[in-house]
Amino acid sequence: MRIENERIAAMNIGLYTAYLGMRSRSRTLEVIANNIANASTTGFKAERLYYRSVEAAELERQRATLAAYEQARAAAVTEQPFEFGNFTRDEQAANRHLENDLRRALGVETGSFADQSQGPVRDTGKPLDVALLGDGYLVVQTPRGTRYTRAGSLTIDADGQLVTQRGELVVGEGGPITLRRGEPVIGEDGSVMVGGQNVGRLKIVSFKDPRTALTKEGDNLFAASGTEKPREAVSTRVVSGALETSNVNSIAEMAAMIQNSREFDSLQRSITLLMNDLRRASGEIGRL
Amino acid sequence: MTRALYTAATGMMVQQQNVDNIANNLANATTVGYKRVRLEFQDLIYQNLRTPGASANSSTPLPVGLQIGLGARAISSERIFLQGDFHQTQGPLDLVIEGSGFFQVRLANGDLAYTRAGSFHLNAQGQVVTATGETVEPAITIPREATSITIGNDGTVSITVPGQANAQNVGQIQLATFVNPAGLESIGRNLFRETAASGQATLAAPGAQGNGTVNQGYVEGSNVNVVEELVNMISAQRVYETNSKVITAADRMLGTINQAVS
Repeated sequence: MRIENERIAAMNIGLYTAYLGMRSRSRTLEVIANNIANASTTGFKAERLYYRSVEAAELERQRATLAAYEQARAAAVTEQPFEFGNFTRDEQAANRHLENDLRRALGVETGSFADQSQGPVRDTGKPLDVALLGDGYLVVQTPRGTRYTRAGSLTIDADGQLVTQRGELVVGEGGPITLRRGEPVIGEDGSVMVGGQNVGRLKIVSFKDPRTALTKEGDNLFAASGTEKPREAVSTRVVSGALETSNVNSIAEMAAMIQNSREFDSLQRSITLLMNDLRRASGEIGRL
Repeated sequence: MTRALYTAATGMMVQQQNVDNIANNLANATTVGYKRVRLEFQDLIYQNLRTPGASANSSTPLPVGLQIGLGARAISSERIFLQGDFHQTQGPLDLVIEGSGFFQVRLANGDLAYTRAGSFHLNAQGQVVTATGETVEPAITIPREATSITIGNDGTVSITVPGQANAQNVGQIQLATFVNPAGLESIGRNLFRETAASGQATLAAPGAQGNGTVNQGYVEGSNVNVVEELVNMISAQRVYETNSKVITAADRMLGTINQAVS
C-alpha cells in the first residue's frame, strides 16, 4: 500500500511540475513576444530567461507534505485491508516514461537578463546619430535619476542641449553638452565638435556584469539596480552617422517560439495522462 | 499568455505605423525640398515579477530579477534634415540652399512659415511667392520691365531693365536657422512652423553666421532614398508577420489549456 501512496504522491508532484513547466513556457512566450515586438527598436537588447530545474529542496518539501498527508489518510483507513495492483505492465511502463518526460520538463525560469551582444549597426548619415561599438552605455539624466541607454538617436532641444528622443539630457564628461549653431560632428572618442570647436564629450560608462547591474525600465532606458558602480568605458568606440539597431534575431526567436509551443503541448499531454491515472487510482480507492 | 497577445499587438501596431511613414516618404520621393521622416521606437514598461536581489526559497539571493516587457511603441517621428540632391532647372527663381537654413514665407493668415523648397514664382503683383502663393518674407518685388533676374550666393536679388547698363538691386533673400530644426512642425505643402522645441528663428543673409548659400537655377530634390525605404518596408512587413505568428502561438497555447480542462 505504501508503494501505491508513493505512486499517487509522485503523480501529484508530476502534476505540479507539469504545471510549473507550462507556466514557465507561457512566460517564455511573453518574453519572445516582447523581443519580437522590439525588433525595430533602436538600441534594444533582447531579453533572455534563465532556466533551472526546480530546486531539490522545493521538491522534497512537496514530497514531504504529500507523504504526511498520505500517511494521515492511510492511518484513517489502516484497519481496512486493501490491495491495488490492477495496473497492467504497459501502464507501468508508460508511467516510467512519463516521469522521465517530467524530469526534463522540470526547468523553470528563475530570472531574466538583457542579452548584451552588439546589435547590427545601420548607417543613417545623420550627424547626431551615434552607435556604440563595445560594451559602453550613454548616460542620460531623467527626472528619476541617472539612466543608461544604447539608443543613440540624439537630438537637440530648444536650448541647444544634446538630448534623447524623449528629451532626457545626455550627460557629458563635464555636464550637459550645449551645441552652438552649425554642423555638429561627433568623434570616435565621443567628443562633440561644432564648427571645429570642442563643445563637450559624451560620457560613456560600462559595467563589469551588466546582467546583474542593469534592469530595463522601458523607453530604451536601463537603470543601475545593483551596488556595482559604473566605470568609464575604455574600449567603446563611438560611430556617428549610424545607429545600433535591435539585437533581436527574429529567426532565432521564431525557432524558440515553435519549440516552446511544442513543449507546452507535451506538458499538457502529460497532465492529461496523469489526470487519467489519478482518476483511475481514486476510483480504485473509492471502490473499497 | 494574454500578455503575449497584447505585446505582439503592440509590435504589429508599431510596424503598421512604420509602413504608414514609409508610404509617406515614398509618396514624397520626388517632392521638391521634402525631408524624410524617420520613426523612432522604444520598448514599453517592464513588469518586475521578481526584483533582483530578492531571496529565493533556499535563502540564496537571486542574482538577477525576472522582468517581462510589454512591447514597443513609436516615440518620435524625426525629420532628417540632410541635404537632398540638386536638380538643375535653369529657372531664374529656382533656388537651392547649400547648407543649413530655411526660406521664410508668410502664410495667408499672416503667420510665418519656413521651407526648403526654393522653387519660387511671381504673383500678379510681381512679388516672389512659393508655388502655393505664400510670399517670401522679407518681400521682394520684381518690376514688370525686368528682363533678367540674378540672385547671388549671398541672396542679393538684382535685375536688369532695358536701357540701363547697370543691374539694379531689388531685394535680399534671408535665411532662417533654428537651434533644433528637427523640432519644427510640418504643416504640409513643404512648409514648417516654429515650435517651442525648435527654438526661435534667427534671420541672416545666406553665407552669414554659418548659414548655407543659395544657388540660382537649381532646386533641392527630396532626400528620400527609395532603395532604403523599400528595404525598410520589407523588413517592417516581415517583422509584422513575425508578430502575427506570436499571436497565433499564444492563441494555440490558450487552446491547449482549454483542451486540458475538458
